[in-house]
Amino acid sequence: MRPGRLVTAALLLALMPAVCGAQRKPEMVLDDLGNSFPFSVPPRRIISLAPNITEILFSLGLDETIAGVTRFCDYPAEALSKEKIGGLVDPNLEKIQALHPDLVIAFRGNPLRTLARLKELRIPVFILQEGMRVEEVFQTIEKIGLVTGVPQRAAELIFSLKAGFGRTREALRNAAPSPRVFISLHGSGLWTCGRESFLNDLLEKAGAANIAGGVSRNWLLMGRESFIQQDPEAIIILAKSFADFEKGRKWFLSEPSFRKVAAVRNGRIFHLDENAASRFGPRLLQTLDRLARLLHPEVIVEQP
Amino acid sequence: MSPKTGRRILLPALAALLAIGFLLSMISGPVKTSPAALLEFLLGHDQNFKTIFWELRMPRALLAFLVGSSLSLAGAILQGYFQNPMADPFVVGVSSGASLGAVLCLVLGLNVSLAGFSSQSLFAFLTGYGIVLLVYALSLKKGFFKVETLLLTGVAAGALASSLTSFLLFLRADSYEQAVFWLLGSFQLASWKQAGAVAPYFLVCLVLSQWLAKDMNLLSLGDETAQSLGCPVRRVRKIFLATATLLAAVSVSVSGVIGFVGLVVPHWIRIMIGPDHRYLFPYSALTGGIFLVFCDLIARTLLPATELPIGIITAAVGAPFFIFLLHRRG
Repeated sequence: MRPGRLVTAALLLALMPAVCGAQRKPEMVLDDLGNSFPFSVPPRRIISLAPNITEILFSLGLDETIAGVTRFCDYPAEALSKEKIGGLVDPNLEKIQALHPDLVIAFRGNPLRTLARLKELRIPVFILQEGMRVEEVFQTIEKIGLVTGVPQRAAELIFSLKAGFGRTREALRNAAPSPRVFISLHGSGLWTCGRESFLNDLLEKAGAANIAGGVSRNWLLMGRESFIQQDPEAIIILAKSFADFEKGRKWFLSEPSFRKVAAVRNGRIFHLDENAASRFGPRLLQTLDRLARLLHPEVIVEQP
Repeated sequence: MSPKTGRRILLPALAALLAIGFLLSMISGPVKTSPAALLEFLLGHDQNFKTIFWELRMPRALLAFLVGSSLSLAGAILQGYFQNPMADPFVVGVSSGASLGAVLCLVLGLNVSLAGFSSQSLFAFLTGYGIVLLVYALSLKKGFFKVETLLLTGVAAGALASSLTSFLLFLRADSYEQAVFWLLGSFQLASWKQAGAVAPYFLVCLVLSQWLAKDMNLLSLGDETAQSLGCPVRRVRKIFLATATLLAAVSVSVSGVIGFVGLVVPHWIRIMIGPDHRYLFPYSALTGGIFLVFCDLIARTLLPATELPIGIITAAVGAPFFIFLLHRRG
């Protein structure tokens, strides 16, 4: 190749990005499975396939564009009046189709086979995964903001959430050493979460040491013997209502083999709202704040 | 009632039920659609419910029919094969084997598809078939096997596969809810692709079993007698076992484990039209298909907010009717 041609080719290559940029390709956002979605046209009929997605959509002010939710979506209260499309593992294809959505947002727990079937019906499905760390909720919110056409509102929400996390971290700076904590997922029984759950991260951030934090699983059934041996100083019970929490608390107090456990002896058994704590959404901040207050009454955590 | 009059009554009744079953499947579901809307759609005037009629309800009813037919035919073949009224696709381990494959795939998170089957379906099919081959090989002694040995080995292998399935589910509790749905069977995700993938296997197996039905009749006289009457016993047995396994494995691979159909439908038919396999096979297939179409209709419409796994319905509807027939006969 002659030098002249080489120069021309180099020039053309250098100009390429400018030329392409001028065409304004639609911008893309990737879902957590790596599928790309254009976000130039905001969707007008969104179906949420999980309670946390519904919460995020409402926090982003998308009340009007939500066309359908699952039967588990109970927060905020407005979600209850939305059309129901079935459950988390059994979303109903027919109902989804009848609502003519232009975007379905799915989450971990929705069966992939069902989502594949939805795509076959030419319905766009944006799939998000649950993170192992609390901060990953920011990415989830950011992605939903992009794909629904409200990136600015998402950025504002993330900013305020981050500020809240920062305040908690600041307040815990002078806190006492982390107490050993057992977090109960089912009221009675020793179902708890391990290192692969964001709840474990939440506990750590609230200045607590999860006694099952060494187990590399999402959730597990702990043996009574290890429970007693680990001797938790506080027990957190996730429960939907105070009545459910009371049932769980009574169970821990009435188990003869637990009598010597520090948390039981000192009556340090606390309630955490199950829906707010178990959904990978904006209410994790409230949960963190409440946890920090419960476990570290010696330092005052400012209300966000 | 003689077998002949039984058949004369049964055939038009089944044809009518089949038509009613498909019609009801088309017009009922969580989304309200009237018969008028269906007519409008069929005449090409209305596109509103096109996806719901054509891409959801129609392939679903068809798949339910094909799977019901396959499982009943497999049951009829195995009951003849083992000369045992308790035989069904569960006893040779194929159902448990297939569900083990599906759950294994779920747990490993594999996602590929081939010829209309998803990766879970492929795994289900391969393990279902594999376990029967294993059972067969284990039952052989110097090239021969006793039917009882095969039956018992099948039950044991099935139990082993079930325990492995439970173990996998316990290890990876995340997929538990999904897996339960798979284990109890469902046609939620039925598509034309699935129906199209099942149909050829079913048709080939139906033709094959029909072709060898006379030999199955001879087998009921005992293997030695059958042999002396000119039936190539060993070859026929091999073909029947392969056919029944194929039918059951393909069924489980698309819809999960649906119990009771394969056990009970051939018995209904035997009570009504007698034990001649030339009629028992096709009538069982037809009735099993219709039975599952109705069961699926109930499964998806009984509760307003959710769908029931179809395995719950097949037993709940089938068992009382079965007991009723047994009593009338006795």
